[in-house]
Amino acid sequence: MEVLRVENIVKQYAGHTALDDISIGTKKGEIFGLLGPNGAGKTTLIRVINQIIGPDSGKVFLDGKPIHPEDVAKIGYLPEERGLYKKMKVYDQVMYFARLKGMGKVEAKRKIDHWFEKFEITSWYNRKVEELSKGMAQKIQFIITVLHEPKLLILDEPFSGFDPINAQLIRNEILELKKNGASILLSTHNMNSVEEICDSIALIDQSKLILNGKLAEVKKEFKSNTYAVQFKGMTFGFANALFADFSLEKSEQIDEDRAVAYVKLLKGNTLNHLLKTVMPVVEIESINEVIPSMKDVFIQAVQGKKGGNDE
Amino acid sequence: MMSKVGLIIKREYGARVKKRSFLLITAFVPLLVAGLVFLAMWFSIQEIKQINVLVVDPGNLCHGKVFTGDETNAPAIFSFVQEDVSLDDFQHHETYNGFDLMLGIQAQVITNKGIKGVYREPITPKAEYYIKDKIELRLEEYFALDRGISINEYRQIRQEFNFNLSSIDPDAQDMTYARWVGIVFSTLIFLFIYIYASQVTHGVLEEKTSRIVEILVSSVKPFQLMIGKIIGIGLVGLTQFAIWIVLIGLSLFLMREFIFQDILNPEVLADAMTNAGNLTGDAMSGQSSQIMKDSALIDVIYNGVPWSTLLFLFLIYFIGGYLLFGAIFAIVGAAVDSETDSHQAMLPVQLIVIFIYVIGCFVVFNPSGATAMWLSQIPFTSPFIMLQRISAGAVHYTELLLSLLLLAVTIFVTLKGAAKVYRTGILMYGKKASWKEIFKWLRYSK
Repeated sequence: MEVLRVENIVKQYAGHTALDDISIGTKKGEIFGLLGPNGAGKTTLIRVINQIIGPDSGKVFLDGKPIHPEDVAKIGYLPEERGLYKKMKVYDQVMYFARLKGMGKVEAKRKIDHWFEKFEITSWYNRKVEELSKGMAQKIQFIITVLHEPKLLILDEPFSGFDPINAQLIRNEILELKKNGASILLSTHNMNSVEEICDSIALIDQSKLILNGKLAEVKKEFKSNTYAVQFKGMTFGFANALFADFSLEKSEQIDEDRAVAYVKLLKGNTLNHLLKTVMPVVEIESINEVIPSMKDVFIQAVQGKKGGNDE
Repeated sequence: MMSKVGLIIKREYGARVKKRSFLLITAFVPLLVAGLVFLAMWFSIQEIKQINVLVVDPGNLCHGKVFTGDETNAPAIFSFVQEDVSLDDFQHHETYNGFDLMLGIQAQVITNKGIKGVYREPITPKAEYYIKDKIELRLEEYFALDRGISINEYRQIRQEFNFNLSSIDPDAQDMTYARWVGIVFSTLIFLFIYIYASQVTHGVLEEKTSRIVEILVSSVKPFQLMIGKIIGIGLVGLTQFAIWIVLIGLSLFLMREFIFQDILNPEVLADAMTNAGNLTGDAMSGQSSQIMKDSALIDVIYNGVPWSTLLFLFLIYFIGGYLLFGAIFAIVGAAVDSETDSHQAMLPVQLIVIFIYVIGCFVVFNPSGATAMWLSQIPFTSPFIMLQRISAGAVHYTELLLSLLLLAVTIFVTLKGAAKVYRTGILMYGKKASWKEIFKWLRYSK
């Protein structure tokens, strides 16, 4: 069952369309990567889901029911551009946001203690936010986002502003929240973290949804039938052996007589065919299919160079 | 839903009331007012120093005939000499050391109407007025005698007419002074809006520039955020006003009890009035009639002003005016992107508020006129104008109801419009919205 379902969302502003018929869904216990270049419409979509702005048409469902203003208590949102009240004490501030999310005082206090102890920052309670570093403030914001145990977490660039150690800490927390059943919508430009933690992705470009699905499947879609062949022997001989059925994309020399060649199979040729062709000239050490990185997928998808086009 | 607005109000209120600047200003203003009152009182005591006047009166026109009554604290006392005193003697001769002022009354004063005098130290206006009044009175009497009019006849002529205007309606009260009470109320409303409504702009801007608003709007509706802020800041203002009134009242009370017992003591004031009353029969002077006017003011303040009605309406217009302008200032905060821009953008609104207030101060002179009537209906001006008209007794209750209705409708519409602009504006970074854009935001339905 999908926790969040966004259906045919259209949002237009004077002069331009921000979202053009977007439909996506996230399951329970899933991390869903919302990707796209700057200005693609991700923030608008997130604001529509958060009911900050209303769509021109289309619907948002939470737990299968049309989303309702009271549902804000079920959503935790960490905006990309985030701030806190500088002059307010850390504890008072977290308590304030918890109460705005509809938590009772006693429950909120218990959860605040829990998270602050977990992050070992209880000594910050009475400090004003202006006394904290940016990374420290980010931690507070993360706690504010997850404190009320939302079933849907929307995290916009959650790792920006953190040093590698704290980024790892936040990453582990996100994974733990996932394990506990939260559905997480993650918007980021950091493709490494997408590969590491996302189960599914959607890619929005120029207000349109251009990719959507399981991470592994999307990547498979972008495979270009290319293999990395590691061999012992002359690269020159290897290249000569490839006729019109194969294309040598590039090659890298490992040492004096060993190299890796990236070969693309053309016109319905198989790997067996390739092996037959090159085995007489070189000694093959390994063969791996080249799976595109998310970064490649992103760039190819956005620039319209989808790998399967020439198949 | 209501509890969220409650939480926002609580935060807005708490954050401001706990600020050091709030405590400082709350304590400083009453101290300043008390200090100024103290200085004013102090100087008025200093003025009581009697001026010793030497009247050089060769024609013996005045001696023994300048009526000074039995005032113990008269601003000046007169001594008369008939021989000429030269300026040099007055300046250096020890006989005249004790005199502060020398007046020369020549025999031909009746024809040339000129009296000259020299002082050692400048004389206060009050003492000068007193001296002029006394000498003039005597010389006029001399003049009358010279023309064959008896002193008694002259005094009858000189007696001021008691000019008393009253309404044809026997139940109507004299509202001349009550109008000034209206001005005071208008001023309070003006100050309140001017000081606190602008804080709404700063508050909105603080949340916008620090991007807290991003987190906030995912928990509360922008309208809740806006109305919570406006009310929270309004309550801060009310708290500050209440503390000011209590502290200023207390300091005036303490001053009366311990420092200026004589001046501020009602019994002394009453005595002065009785004395003034006694005087009128003998010699009517401008001063005594002034005291009568003062006592009329005091009387009107205690008995002539419809306090309960006025206070009630004051509160309503106070709150209404604040909500209306608070919403407008919230729009300004949402439309701009930096503190610097906000000052520029607030200026027109602030100038309009000042302008309306200044117009309001003129209404006091003609509270029944068409301008006053219209201004007391237009919702943006009525909070400043209506109270003056009411305190002047110039308003029929249907007018009042219409004005309140218009104000309520306008507040509703403005708050709704402000909420729309606010909702779009607070998430719009990096640029200052133009008026055109703001109107466009107003048209967005979602």
